[in-house]
Amino acid sequence: MTEPLLEVDDLTVQYETESGMITAVSDASFVINEGEFFGLAGESGCGKSTTAKSIIGGLDSNGQITSGKIRYRGTEIQDYTEKQLNEELRWKEIAWIPQSAMNSLDPLQTISEQAVEIGTVHTDLSKAELREKLKEMFSIVGLQESRINDYPHQFSGGMQQRAVIALALFLEPSLIIADEPTTALDVIMQDQIFKHLDEIKAKLDTSLLLITHDISVIFESCETVAIMHASQVAEYGTVNAVYDNPRHPYAFMFKAAFPDVREPDRELEVIEGYPPQLGEEIGFCSFVDRCPWATEECRESAPELEAVADDDPIHVASCFRKEEAYELYQSERPTTESQDGIAAMTNEDD
Amino acid sequence: MSDKPPLLEIRNLKKYFEQNSGLLDMLLRREPNHVQAVDDVSLTLEENESIAVIGESGCGKTTLLLTLIGLHEMTGGDIIYKGRPVSEFTSAEWKRYRRNVQVVFQDPFNSLDPKMTIEETLQEPLKIHGIGDRKERVRNVLEHVELNPPEKYLRRKPRNLSGGEKQRVSIARALILEPDIILADEPVSMLDVSTQAAVLRKMKDLIEDFGVSMIYISHDLSTVSYISDVVNVMYLGRIVETAPTDRILAEPKHPYTEALVSAVPIPDPNHDRERTRMSGAPRDPVDLGDGCRFRDRCPSVIPPDTIEIEQEAYREIMEFRELLERDEIAFERVMNTLSGSFSDDRKMADAIREDYFTHELTGENNAVLKEALLAFVNEKPEVATERLRKRFESVCETSPRTVEDEDGWRVACHHYDHGVTEMQIDQPETAQSD
Repeated sequence: MTEPLLEVDDLTVQYETESGMITAVSDASFVINEGEFFGLAGESGCGKSTTAKSIIGGLDSNGQITSGKIRYRGTEIQDYTEKQLNEELRWKEIAWIPQSAMNSLDPLQTISEQAVEIGTVHTDLSKAELREKLKEMFSIVGLQESRINDYPHQFSGGMQQRAVIALALFLEPSLIIADEPTTALDVIMQDQIFKHLDEIKAKLDTSLLLITHDISVIFESCETVAIMHASQVAEYGTVNAVYDNPRHPYAFMFKAAFPDVREPDRELEVIEGYPPQLGEEIGFCSFVDRCPWATEECRESAPELEAVADDDPIHVASCFRKEEAYELYQSERPTTESQDGIAAMTNEDD
Repeated sequence: MSDKPPLLEIRNLKKYFEQNSGLLDMLLRREPNHVQAVDDVSLTLEENESIAVIGESGCGKTTLLLTLIGLHEMTGGDIIYKGRPVSEFTSAEWKRYRRNVQVVFQDPFNSLDPKMTIEETLQEPLKIHGIGDRKERVRNVLEHVELNPPEKYLRRKPRNLSGGEKQRVSIARALILEPDIILADEPVSMLDVSTQAAVLRKMKDLIEDFGVSMIYISHDLSTVSYISDVVNVMYLGRIVETAPTDRILAEPKHPYTEALVSAVPIPDPNHDRERTRMSGAPRDPVDLGDGCRFRDRCPSVIPPDTIEIEQEAYREIMEFRELLERDEIAFERVMNTLSGSFSDDRKMADAIREDYFTHELTGENNAVLKEALLAFVNEKPEVATERLRKRFESVCETSPRTVEDEDGWRVACHHYDHGVTEMQIDQPETAQSD
């Protein structure tokens, strides 16, 4: 086995607020290998963005990693200083695509000026070489090479987003962290961008940490997925395992809440209630108040992420009833069976 | 029954905005540019019906909605409510119309007054329209949108509500006047998925239980199917296709609808969907002139019958012609790639060809392009334009009629206009041979 690119191990992140400590991420663990697309999904406030920010030292000043390890190519980076992060990781190794491209480009500089600035700090390449490199990235994301000298305002929203992706790719990082990169875009533009990301993966073996609330994008584009609920990883595994054999009630209810154009008549799942207020670490399952299958055990202690017995060696879920919850869910919804059948038929037609 | 007019009829509605009327433009008597946000849109909404208008951002769907409630003045066409044209409304009729047509906006976070309690928010429309039993009505409507028990919510302010609760209050506010029509502008796009499902369900129930009609505006095809029986697909101000929702999802006819449907992500890792073949984004809706709005991105644009050419090669010529007509060929940039041989026309023409064309042409097609490029480098762009137009002009450069089949399926595309019934979007190879 080759060494994983990124390992997040029992990561806990806390914010200090006026009303005390808030645990935004609690014992999260996952692994991203080279050339792997990993999706991190969940509702707003579940801790997915905080998890990603903690990897590149992007937490707000009141936030800190209180326990756990983050290893990049085997080296622990959770205690890196700003200087270390800048010199060793940011841009060259790990690049960030923010949600709002419009606000992340400098309006007073052309794209190539911004790229040259980044490149001069992080590499020994000459300006001419850096420009050539940027042109190459522009063509990968489907922008005309001649437009590297344009100002951000000369681009449409979709083009700005692609320019940001080109900048993120520019120094050929091994890992791209993308926070809802396509949420503000229309489906056709979203598909164009993922087409480019697919190509980048094929050409450069780049890995992706994709943060989104849109599970359909993850199921389509990623190899592995973690679904977070109230600061905890509820379930983690390959997309196929989590889709075909989900174990955590939040994971399969979350999935069933998504509309699917193949089944316009399917009833959408509604997850009642809200996650508990984030505070100090909680000693019970965070999904207990929303879970139709909760028992006394779920209130008395918090379930840990444990292996699921199936073909997927990385598949884990944090639920006391993980062996039976999905089966109970299916038996209570008799229509699910036949709808799966319809979905399967549609698949074959395609 | 059939002589009863539809609830709402939109006939050839136009909303243009003027752009560029600065002082200099006025002094120079420049014609202002027109943004054709809504261009000749016709729709019918029957009682108890829910229709959707879908399209990408900038296609004009929100402008359409704002024009419908009178927040924009229409440029042309008419809106007919229960047989009465809006343009002839008296002020009493306007008031009645505004009571009967209610809106739920996209953003629940900004569409409620932060200083008002929920009770005040919901009572306000009742006061304006002079309706009594306010307390009772507010309680009832809160129960209908499942904000239970109502007492718990009455004294709260928007900041004390979650996104889903806020959107339910917005829906309650629209419902409290017992309207005939609700116009919903992306009502769930800013909500979390668990809440999204609940709000969609609620809206679906309202249509069925209360007999409210709805125009649902969205860019998201996958949620549309839960709410609407009929979908209108809008592209750059025009409706390109109208059909029952399940059929439009299963067999889209217009090439744009095809592209839109096929780009919707499928939440299933076992499903292998091909990524979109579309590139670019819709153009600006400014002075679009005649022609199909989608022709610059259409994967099955129609070449003249008289020539034989591959779709991809034909696309390149169309794009080049368009740039030529707009005087946007990057002549200097291309010439910079040539080292000093500015005197040789043929070399210059070849350089431009290399930059803008990747596909080979043969025979007459090739000869015409060569001639046009030579004319262009000889500083006769109008000759180049004319040569290319004469040979390669597409029927898509004229606006397609909307044709309707016996099932009421309407599509505005020359593929149907011309009696071509089999779409060949997925088989560009076969499309080339005819």
